[in-house]
Amino acid sequence: MELQTRKMLDRSFSVIGIIAIVLMAISLLILLGPIFVKGMGAFVFRSTIEHRELMLDKFGRGDRAEIEAEMSAATQARKPVYDIIEEFERELTEKGSGYRRQYRQDFKELKVLVRELLGPFPNQRQPVLIRDQYGQTRWDRATVKLHHILNVEEYDYSDPSQMGVKVLLPRVERFRGTSLEPLFAIFERDAKEMLRPRLTFYMRFLSDESYDAHFFGGIWPELLGTFYLALGAMLFAVPLGIIAAIYLAEYAGESRFVSILRTCISSLAGVPSIVFGLFGLAFFINTMHVSPSKSVLAGSLTLALLVLPTVIRASEEAIHAVPITYKEGSMSLGASKWRTVVTVILPAALPGILTSIIISLGRAAGETAPIIFTAAVSVGKPIALWQTISQPTPALPWNIYNLATEHEAVDEIRHVQYGMVLTLVVLVLLLNMTAIIVRARISKKLRG
Amino acid sequence: MQDNVKPSTYGGLSKQLLMSRGAQRYQRLGTLAGRSILTIIASSSLIALLFIFYFIIRDAIPFFRIEGFKEFFTSTRWYPSREEAEFGALSIFVGSGLVTLGAIVVAVPLGVLAALCLSDILPFSLRQVAKPVIEMLAAIPSVVYGFFALVVFAPLMQERGGGLLSVGAWLILAPLAVIAVVVLSDVTTTRFSQRARVPGRIGLGITFGGLIAFGLVQLTHFLSGLSIISGTNALNTSVILGIMALPTVVSVSEDALNAVGRELREGSYALGATRAETLLRVVVPAARSGILAAVILGVMRAVGETMVVWMASGNASKIPSPWFNYLEPIRTLTATIAGDMGEADHVTGSARYHVLFAMALSLLAFAFISNLVSELIVRRARKVGG
Repeated sequence: MELQTRKMLDRSFSVIGIIAIVLMAISLLILLGPIFVKGMGAFVFRSTIEHRELMLDKFGRGDRAEIEAEMSAATQARKPVYDIIEEFERELTEKGSGYRRQYRQDFKELKVLVRELLGPFPNQRQPVLIRDQYGQTRWDRATVKLHHILNVEEYDYSDPSQMGVKVLLPRVERFRGTSLEPLFAIFERDAKEMLRPRLTFYMRFLSDESYDAHFFGGIWPELLGTFYLALGAMLFAVPLGIIAAIYLAEYAGESRFVSILRTCISSLAGVPSIVFGLFGLAFFINTMHVSPSKSVLAGSLTLALLVLPTVIRASEEAIHAVPITYKEGSMSLGASKWRTVVTVILPAALPGILTSIIISLGRAAGETAPIIFTAAVSVGKPIALWQTISQPTPALPWNIYNLATEHEAVDEIRHVQYGMVLTLVVLVLLLNMTAIIVRARISKKLRG
Repeated sequence: MQDNVKPSTYGGLSKQLLMSRGAQRYQRLGTLAGRSILTIIASSSLIALLFIFYFIIRDAIPFFRIEGFKEFFTSTRWYPSREEAEFGALSIFVGSGLVTLGAIVVAVPLGVLAALCLSDILPFSLRQVAKPVIEMLAAIPSVVYGFFALVVFAPLMQERGGGLLSVGAWLILAPLAVIAVVVLSDVTTTRFSQRARVPGRIGLGITFGGLIAFGLVQLTHFLSGLSIISGTNALNTSVILGIMALPTVVSVSEDALNAVGRELREGSYALGATRAETLLRVVVPAARSGILAAVILGVMRAVGETMVVWMASGNASKIPSPWFNYLEPIRTLTATIAGDMGEADHVTGSARYHVLFAMALSLLAFAFISNLVSELIVRRARKVGG
């Protein structure tokens, strides 16, 4: 090949390499972008009067007089809606059964939508489910509902060779010429007066209990459960891991047993996380009976095994990084080996060990598969510390899965899902960032 | 305390440093006890691994005893909840294999290139920026990847799948095509006479370029015509799994590339090779065992991953037809265990319950063997490398 071509190939190779790195950065951005943007929606959003009423009723927050004044203003704005509906109901009974049959289905559908938007009708009995007691608490969800009230989504199958095409029809067409017709114009004009949206910072999302399977409220039980599980796992894994690391770094030498031990550690690190979950179920719960069924304790023990190899390896590395002169100095002063390890080497290796603990903490907080069978439940109250030995708990990773796939109204609580994901990601990334900073400090210190 | 050392021989000071025989024995015992306790605690991971194997095998054996091996490994009929339950897991094994293959196709070229870039091409300061990106990718919990795959990626794929695929194809193939054109036109003109070489190269370059561009356009046309029925399919899972396996591949192969000494690189440069030639012909071959180990670890990560495949693979236990049709939903071992245990839990002791342990055993055995192989490769490479 000619020199020119070779040079060009060399350069293009470098470019491709850089593209690979850039692609990684981009995929990180694409992954985190929607999570951050939509996740913030759980904390900062335009809340409606229904939200403020809920906060007052359930958490006793806000100024009662002010909210009641606002509520009466909203009720005023809603009055025409209810009046029209009542009038139409009267019209239905008056105009006979044919007329009623014609509109019954559509009217029923409309009433459900109105109730979902504005909460129960004034003359209605208080519903049992909390989700039915209030209208839309978020303005973004309210606009979706409003859109459904104003428009009917239909599928056009007129072209048999293609899949149905979605078409929007104004719902008002279905009630042309009836007394219900002005309702839609009122909705279009006065929706804001009926719901009074206002920008709200809902930081208590993190510390509020959830109401009615996450339709309302926050994620405190999940957050607390995640803390219990991760810290519990560390409680078991850290002592074991550090002692094992001390043994490997200072006492072990190069025997056959030690090489088998090292292979076991790396094999343990390679065991799929779901297998840990099954093992936790078969061993801790079904054989050891640490708790009658799922519990935080069983989950923590399972997670501890999962992070053990990480703790051992990173701690061993940290111990190895301590300069040999420290050890020699201590030994020459007549300290025994154990004393040297405890009073000289461990304190010097502590920041490195801390890094490993922080990273493992993040790992334990984010793992889902091992806690499915051992610790996690979908719905639950926050549990007290002493209950952790016998009670299961909701946890962020499991509830993200659960709300995103198995919840009855997946689309309506997207903001809660995103809020949970954001919380988990921020938690884990903060831990990792701390670890990176600690490590940078150490390397600077070791370099002098 | 018995004092059997004469003070006059040793002097008053050193006397205190010597211990009586009893104290010495006491100390030796203490050391021995301490050491054995230390050894036992240090072997906790060995014990844990043995326990994991024991308990998974113990609960897997009843399944094989009742149902035998043949159906499990060869049949594709997976109907565990029927009256006449059938436990043919072949399609589930194939599903696991498919997504793993897909993940490797995504992760290995990208990961090895990124590792080369990190070890040899980027200057130190940029490396310090790139490292945290990789660490963040590794740190993000798998359920977050799964959530992204299910809530963001899958609808996107379902709605504008064709366009997405064509953009992806262009992103990957266009740079490669440019290089291919240059190399092809260069290689074919080496026999030309000196004078005809430059115009020949330009002419051939245009011809090849035109041909390849035509092919790409055709491919894009074909891809954008595809309609994807379900966004939760093998392709979605493979891409996300590949991104998840990337950090492992990058960091392990970067270690391997760094372990190749400076001397080899300098020798190659001294012979007049460019950096790309040095990397591709000298450094990568020298580090190939480490890179192989990286690939194996990436495979392990992809096979063992649960949440992403459970959320984004569609969970349909059938083999896609044809087998390489990545746009169909599939089902994997890990997702089956996670998904079916909820139903099998309260029927502990049934074949339904034990079959999941049989699957876990297959996973465990695969992970264990892969790990041994990768360790063996690395160890042998270290021996050869001196």
